[in-house]
Amino acid sequence: MQTDMDTNKQYLRPRTVEEALQMASGCTSPFKFIAGGTDLMVHMKQGNASTASLIDISGLQELKQIDLEPNGVLRIGSLASLESIAQNALVRKHFPVLAEAIETVASPVLRKSATIGGNLLCENRCSFYDQSEWWRQAVGYCLKCNGDTCIATGGKKNCYSKFSSDLAVVLISLDANVTGTGELFSKGIPLENIYTGDGVHPRKVRDGILLLSVELAVDRKFRSAYHKLRPRRSMDFSSLTSAVSIDAQGEINIVLGGVDPMPVVARGNIQQCDELAVRAYKRSRVVDNDHYSRSYRKRMISVFVKRSFEQLGIEQDAPQS
Amino acid sequence: MSLEKLTIKVNGTGRTVLVEAHETLASVLRNRLGLTGTKIGCDQGACGCCTVIADGLAVLSCLAPALRFEGAEITTIERLREGESLHTLQQKFVEKGATQCGFCTPGMVMTALQFAEQNPSANREAIRNALSGNLCRCTGYKKIVDAVADYIHVVQSQTGPPSNHHIGHPRPYLEAERKVSGAALYADDIPVNHALYCKFVRSIHPHARIVSIDLSEALTAEGVRYIATGEELPEKFGVLPISQDQTAMAIGKTRFNGEIVAAVAAETEAQAEQACRLVKVVYEPLEPFFEIDDALADAGTREKIHAHVRFNNNVHKKAELRFGNQQEGLERSYARARGSFEFAGLSHGFTEPHASIAHWDENGLTMVSATQVPHYLHRSLAKVLGVPLHRVRVVKPTVGGGFGGKSDPFAHELIIAHLSRKTGRPVRVCLSREEVFLVNHGRHPSKMTVEMGVSDDGRFEVLDADIAIDGGAYGSFGVVTSYYNGVLLQAPYKLDNFGFRTYRVYTNKPVSGAMRGHGAVNSRFAVETLIDELAERIGMDPCELRMRNFLDAHTLTVGQYRITSNGSRESLEAVMEASSWKQRRHQMPANRGLGAGCGFFISGSALPIIWNELPQSVVHLKLDFDGRVLVTSGASDIGQGSDTMLAMVVAETLGLPLENICVVAADTLLTPVDMGSYSSRVTFMAGNAALDAAKRLSSLLLEAVAAKTASAPEELQLEGGRIFRTDRSIDLSWQEAVDILTAGRGAVSVSGKYISPKLGGDFKGAGAGLSPSYSFGACVAEVEVDPETGQVQVCEVWGAHDCGKAINPLAVEGQLEGSWHMGMGQALTEQLRYFNGLQVNSSFLDYKIPTALDTPDFHTHIVETDDPEGPFGAKECGEGALHPVLPAIANAIYHATGVRIRRLPIDPEVILTGMAEIKLKEQSVHAN
Repeated sequence: MQTDMDTNKQYLRPRTVEEALQMASGCTSPFKFIAGGTDLMVHMKQGNASTASLIDISGLQELKQIDLEPNGVLRIGSLASLESIAQNALVRKHFPVLAEAIETVASPVLRKSATIGGNLLCENRCSFYDQSEWWRQAVGYCLKCNGDTCIATGGKKNCYSKFSSDLAVVLISLDANVTGTGELFSKGIPLENIYTGDGVHPRKVRDGILLLSVELAVDRKFRSAYHKLRPRRSMDFSSLTSAVSIDAQGEINIVLGGVDPMPVVARGNIQQCDELAVRAYKRSRVVDNDHYSRSYRKRMISVFVKRSFEQLGIEQDAPQS
Repeated sequence: MSLEKLTIKVNGTGRTVLVEAHETLASVLRNRLGLTGTKIGCDQGACGCCTVIADGLAVLSCLAPALRFEGAEITTIERLREGESLHTLQQKFVEKGATQCGFCTPGMVMTALQFAEQNPSANREAIRNALSGNLCRCTGYKKIVDAVADYIHVVQSQTGPPSNHHIGHPRPYLEAERKVSGAALYADDIPVNHALYCKFVRSIHPHARIVSIDLSEALTAEGVRYIATGEELPEKFGVLPISQDQTAMAIGKTRFNGEIVAAVAAETEAQAEQACRLVKVVYEPLEPFFEIDDALADAGTREKIHAHVRFNNNVHKKAELRFGNQQEGLERSYARARGSFEFAGLSHGFTEPHASIAHWDENGLTMVSATQVPHYLHRSLAKVLGVPLHRVRVVKPTVGGGFGGKSDPFAHELIIAHLSRKTGRPVRVCLSREEVFLVNHGRHPSKMTVEMGVSDDGRFEVLDADIAIDGGAYGSFGVVTSYYNGVLLQAPYKLDNFGFRTYRVYTNKPVSGAMRGHGAVNSRFAVETLIDELAERIGMDPCELRMRNFLDAHTLTVGQYRITSNGSRESLEAVMEASSWKQRRHQMPANRGLGAGCGFFISGSALPIIWNELPQSVVHLKLDFDGRVLVTSGASDIGQGSDTMLAMVVAETLGLPLENICVVAADTLLTPVDMGSYSSRVTFMAGNAALDAAKRLSSLLLEAVAAKTASAPEELQLEGGRIFRTDRSIDLSWQEAVDILTAGRGAVSVSGKYISPKLGGDFKGAGAGLSPSYSFGACVAEVEVDPETGQVQVCEVWGAHDCGKAINPLAVEGQLEGSWHMGMGQALTEQLRYFNGLQVNSSFLDYKIPTALDTPDFHTHIVETDDPEGPFGAKECGEGALHPVLPAIANAIYHATGVRIRRLPIDPEVILTGMAEIKLKEQSVHAN
């Protein structure tokens, strides 16, 4: 059963954003943009993603810049590699937590190819989804594979695939914006707004839209604490990622990843830190779809947040003066 | 499918190739350019074997679309070699013993090379980090880090002139250069003209009747040449003669998710895969059995997994032996400890996936396969395919690790032999990583209750073990595993009242089998944990308690194992001293602990798997006019260094440099039978056969020289490449002596053999675990436990192992460090997880083999006890070292936290719960 997709596969290599968008709009059959490819290629091999055309945007030099703009915005091009960001002096100076987080993503070699855009858009993960075609047939196709129930939860009608971008967790805690080519993104929107919370379709970024950059405001003077739970010190996706950032005004953002189909965000003032911690914990819809049990990951949320508060010198359960 | 043109510069040469639009760079390099130095271990970016350098950047070529690299410069492992010499980094890998099976080596070297260029002052931790995306299953990473560190810091090599003394001198593997330069050919690297590719249709049910198989659509698919189903190969097989319970493909019903139901041979891999999707199988699901308890119980009206089992349950084997009187022992005990333990199943995790090639010609069948046991594969092929033994040839190419996982004859090997016969074409197969996990044959998931008692002065009074192991769908080595779980508890301690009972059950899961430390790892964990408890109860240091109970050298165990050399005490003393056990144990900081464990293992099973009167090993030597000694042996080098061991033994005996020796091994047509690389038997048995052969050759040579020079053979010596009389009145070069020997007779061939002495008692089951010698060892581990997350970090491991005599200390260290790494993985992170009988984590991303960053620098101590029967005093070092490390880690966790570990892998949540309970108890004590 050879499909058109098999016979008419193509690989396109635009040199500019404009050319990439033209190629995309010129495609008559399904296409996907491919950057580092470290997530997409695995999904293609497993049959979780298929496409006739791959539009390789890894050559778009204009999206690899990391600049501090005069208005105090650090702009990171969406195709900057994770390694280049972690090594960038501006990043290390203003947002060392981002470099710290990058060093927990995948493995050093993968970080040379993987891009920040790809990381923010990487697919949600689940033990019942990240499997071969044969496996998903044997288990009986879950919601995320066009089936009709969630297998991880024993039959719920919502998909709870876990949000897996560690960098989104950090960047949201730093109130990052993203800019993209579609109408939604052209002016820049808060990063968290691109995530839907629906495990089947976790991102609002449709095919044909290119993420252009991530923007961070330097003058917020964030201090941050970052933690990632994983069985090994390299390679592994997150079982729980937390980033807690507090700016000079005492505005605090608690963001969790790996415990819900979307990043779990609790924002407020330092005075409310206990309440925010509880809110983040309660909002996390953790299910048994990971190496670690649901109960353990839940339990670790409190530990990570508490540790972050300690690291940031925030006193829990104590009245703020 | 339309192809696109790709122009790249590969290793300095411009190449233009036609590629598929979405084809990966790894595929282009391997399949279109023949650059098979780049390996594919997982095909999903989780092992690093495929790392190459593209325009100065290390990339994982299995995840990189080839067309991305139009115009780019690609460097693969094949480029590094500079003419006659290796690249300095490759040279360091060779010297340091950083390559064992060699499958991860090309990727490891490429990753390290780029890292070294950019980080000219990196320390060990930075090197470990840089390599943490490259999995190695053999070395435990230490020697790899050594090699990279020496390269970065430009440490000069210290190599003396070539010596004629070999035993006890560390040296790289004979084939190490081939491995580090990407030239070693593993089964899937071997080019074969006009070959078909095989892919399998696998069951999607754990237990189901096969109602029908419709091949009609698949047979018409493009490129399909043949599709086979179960009925074509009805003859049953299995590695043990007593469990011939499996057919090459399922017939009538399937017994596990992933069992092969049909096999397609097609012109390309993609076509075979596509045709598999078109095979329509109708199943009628049967009620499955997944858990040990369920399989032990009466099946009621449910259909048993195998009709042949004796009762209405799924018990495959019950093994029980009792010595002394356990009841009396318990009654006499001053303190007792009893615990129930549970262990997850494990995968061997070798980096090279199973791969094989079959073809038929005027000599019958030739099977090239990644196997540890050419001999048993030879027999199984003959049996299942219905051809005489003399029409089957099995050739082992370079093998990328086994650890027991390549020691059964496998369905895929039998099937491609059949497909090749049917199509008249060579047929090749290479399993995906997921399929490797499905084939499994790894460590049995186990449950056991073990009880021990001790006298007030610290003598073990009794050991009683009740064990059940989950065999999965078929027999494999399971009967042996059943016994080993019990019998291998009768040492290293003296026990008069000892008994065990093991049940092995069939379940509807992938087959369990033999894995490094076979059968004894889990029950050893239980015993060493209980010893720690007993020590505490009687207020004795746990190492002291062990010291009091060790068996002596040259004694019999209660089950009549003949213990000869025994380095238990020396091993434990070595790790106690190195870890400053006595000084530090009582002054550890909070949440940090020290724990100890011991173990022992067979050094080769004294009995063959298939009863016959062949020697366990035969080695032939051929010496011809050119002065080179050809060693032929059936022993399988799978990365453990057995070829090198054979060469060293022969060279030492003949007083020759290694360059005079050439080893041809594991080709059933050319090499005499060796039983295979399992049960840690090769150094002892093939080594002894090689020694025997070399002595015979030496005698022939000395006799010939004596006759020619009118002297007596016993006056002559072979040393330093010369044959001489002590007074040097006769002093010939090797070549001159060879000329004398071969004159008028030509090439000389001799045969050496090893036959195990008759051992053991005459009761039923007495044969299990018999070995001409046993190895002993000990570990001390230091851990730090995070009291809030329960996460365990293994900070240090001190290990010591009695290998009799280290023929090649570099290889021995490599075996020990690899064993400790694997044991650490089982203790902390590795397990095969299942959902309704379906493996959930059948990938290198989800099956958690510790990375370089998770693995400490092991402190390695070789203990030598000069075994009376081992070749030059040597015995095994490849498996026994694994046993002590798991309980050492768990006992250290207890020492750090007060929480006893009863389940592997260790679950941080269990530690947290345990710590909370302890705290609660303490509080209530205070409150009272």
